[in-house]
Amino acid sequence: MESGGDNVIVLKSLKHDNEVSVTSTVESIHYHDVIIIGGGLTGLRAAFQISNSGLSGALISKVHPLRSHSVAAQGGMNASLGNVPGDDGASDDWKMHAYDTVKGSDYLADQDAVEKMCREATATVYELEHMGTVWSRLENGKIAQRPFGGAGFPRTCYAADRTGHNALHTLYEQVLNSNFPIYEEFFVTSLVKDKGRCIGCTAIEIMTGKIHGFISKAVLMATGGFGRVFNRSTNALINTGDGLALALNAGVPLKDMEFVQFHPTTLYGTNILMSEGARGEGGVLINNQGERFMEKYAPNSVDLAPRDVVARSIEQEIREGKGYDGGYVHLDLTHLGSDRIMERLPGIRQIAMDFAGVDPIEEPIPIQPGQHYSMGGIDADINGATMLSGLYAAGECACISVHGANRLGGNSLLETVVFGRLVADKIIEDVNSTPEPDTQVVNLAINEVESKIKDVMERKKGANIFRVRDEMTETMFQKFGIFRDGQTMEKGLKEILNMENKFSHLTINNKDLAVNQTLIQFLELEGMLKIAEVVARCAIKRKESRGSHTRTDYPDRDDKNCLKHTLIELEDKNLNISYKPVTIGMFEPKERVY
Amino acid sequence: MKLKVYRYHKSMEKPHYDTFELEPKPGLTVLGALIQFQQNFDDSIAFHYSCRGAVCGTCAMLINKVPRLACRTQVESLLNGDLNIPLSSYHAIGENVEWNQKEEVLVEPLPHLPVIKDLIVDMDKFFDYYKEIEPVFKPADSTPEKERLMDPASILELELYTNCILCAACFGSCPVDGNDPEYLGPAALAKLYRFHIDPREANGIERLKTADIPRGWWDCKFHGNCRRVCPKDVPPLIAIAKAREQLEKEGEGP
Repeated sequence: MESGGDNVIVLKSLKHDNEVSVTSTVESIHYHDVIIIGGGLTGLRAAFQISNSGLSGALISKVHPLRSHSVAAQGGMNASLGNVPGDDGASDDWKMHAYDTVKGSDYLADQDAVEKMCREATATVYELEHMGTVWSRLENGKIAQRPFGGAGFPRTCYAADRTGHNALHTLYEQVLNSNFPIYEEFFVTSLVKDKGRCIGCTAIEIMTGKIHGFISKAVLMATGGFGRVFNRSTNALINTGDGLALALNAGVPLKDMEFVQFHPTTLYGTNILMSEGARGEGGVLINNQGERFMEKYAPNSVDLAPRDVVARSIEQEIREGKGYDGGYVHLDLTHLGSDRIMERLPGIRQIAMDFAGVDPIEEPIPIQPGQHYSMGGIDADINGATMLSGLYAAGECACISVHGANRLGGNSLLETVVFGRLVADKIIEDVNSTPEPDTQVVNLAINEVESKIKDVMERKKGANIFRVRDEMTETMFQKFGIFRDGQTMEKGLKEILNMENKFSHLTINNKDLAVNQTLIQFLELEGMLKIAEVVARCAIKRKESRGSHTRTDYPDRDDKNCLKHTLIELEDKNLNISYKPVTIGMFEPKERVY
Repeated sequence: MKLKVYRYHKSMEKPHYDTFELEPKPGLTVLGALIQFQQNFDDSIAFHYSCRGAVCGTCAMLINKVPRLACRTQVESLLNGDLNIPLSSYHAIGENVEWNQKEEVLVEPLPHLPVIKDLIVDMDKFFDYYKEIEPVFKPADSTPEKERLMDPASILELELYTNCILCAACFGSCPVDGNDPEYLGPAALAKLYRFHIDPREANGIERLKTADIPRGWWDCKFHGNCRRVCPKDVPPLIAIAKAREQLEKEGEGP
């Protein structure tokens, strides 16, 4: 890479610094053509693509990439391979996949994006197979597929119940093999903007506490979801929505943030995910009366209705007193027999035994709905481009809008790998015509972060961050959970605003900069409170029920007034909401029956 | 109950132990206890965490002198003595630390890797060895249009090894790794074997030769600690024994 100008120093602080030479007095500035933030499936797939393009790239992640939440994905990845025939011997195709996805989204997904994803799905599954992913197989040797919620076809390709694990390890192997630089355990603190472009970011190196600057022509945000804004979440503890907060603070709008998925089956007590694959394999939900209650709510799809439908049904049963003490129902697999459970669902069996002391071969699993996925995210177009030139987003942190108001199981792994590749391709195309970024601005950005952290560290007595975080997650689950209403949400918003006020007085006892995990959690919480407020404001404004957003005071879907995307952005410290139209394509909105 | 935690950072002359008292509620894991420690006792404690569901492999540490995932280890079970795992002895677990097993849980960093702070170790060496065995798929044929076919029966053996989450519990439990810092260790060898037996690779014993060195297949002394501590039941011992047998058959050897 060309040097920036005078006073060039060559940096040696990190082993990844290929071709680095920048104008700076700080020895912690790194130049790469493309910076990828996040090391899950999206980030790694993009890294592989950037690496093959010959551009210089680097990946920044707050954890080792193999510890990313993608690793926890269980059930599978949807693609119309058609390896397993449908009920009437029919063959699957991408259009049926697209239809199920759009219907599942309650017609809020952008249909051009859905079409793109579903068309790319089969190639994506094959691509992982070609890279070495071990998929479960049919007797004829082809990749196995199982039925999943809301799908008209057994379309979900799987690797037992460890699909995310197998895919993540494969992509990590590929990226490692290409010697792509990875900045592990770096927490990104801000995006750097210059002349209306995103030209990099700052990050704190967690192990040393040092602030680094990264200069690039493009930044891809791939940081995953914000599940930990809620309590009772299936998400890893690291899913704090950092990328969304970074984008929001850089003036980039977020989209459809009121749509938060509650997964029907999370283990009672710890809310660890019990895969939809369990019902795909024939598992059934049973209330305390011994009834298979889904027959009542979704006569055709029964236990394999989409997640929003099943989560609401369980919550309704619990509210009517048909749950067990503590608020749960049973997921019964016992009739599947031990062979099938050991072969297809070994991971969830192990989790149920380890964390609930229940062996699903012998007895039903206690489950309750829990926060699982964020349909909303950074507003990105079909190419992953955001409103800010140079900033792109893909995966769960983005809202390219393939899931609309409710995501189908098996579509999120698919989205990560499809758009990890496609958005990287778009970046490769754009970067060629991007001017060299001005390297001075990043020094100012570093100073800003350093002085902010100094201020926080110098605070004397104040409340503890952990209490505020607990209050926030409780408010979000209780007041912006499965069933919502205007009055309760207004109360919830007030509580969140109070917490944001309190936040400016919170303190950290640990004053060391190196390996200060409380400081990292403080920075995470700052973003999470903002995201909580965003979800609250968007949810209050949407006066209808659609997909995961269920309002008892507005029980019906209102296509006339509400078939539109919500946008929210930060302008002069105010959150402003606007709307934009949904892209309708082949499928006209109609009533959603399962 | 009490949590007795190893504390160290580089400005300290030597490590010490902090003890923190807490309520042992059902379902409380060692990770949960550490989080309480951080929130209620000392927010400077350092430990790795991510999934909290025993799938990501971040939180392996030495718990009551056995390498385990903190998120999966139930405090009550430890106190009841249900989780005792007999291991072949090695230096790190032989170190004399007093703790009362009926009411205390002893938490220390994973052995055989340098401590950065408290319970956080530098995993570079572990991943360097992993990288050394070239953990990337090398198919025998050119890329087909669709998937390569695989016999479902072959998946069963492969899964034994693909299930590895690279938590390094085995590495921290291996007496050989304790004595010989150059030994590639159980996880890297099991990973190498995973590629060797992948029917899509079909490279004969070529793959196995990568570790056909004294610090590879031939360094294992079959203590078996790796198998006993693995949270995913991966059997590196079987991989190592089979690899040696195949190499010996081909006239390769130590």
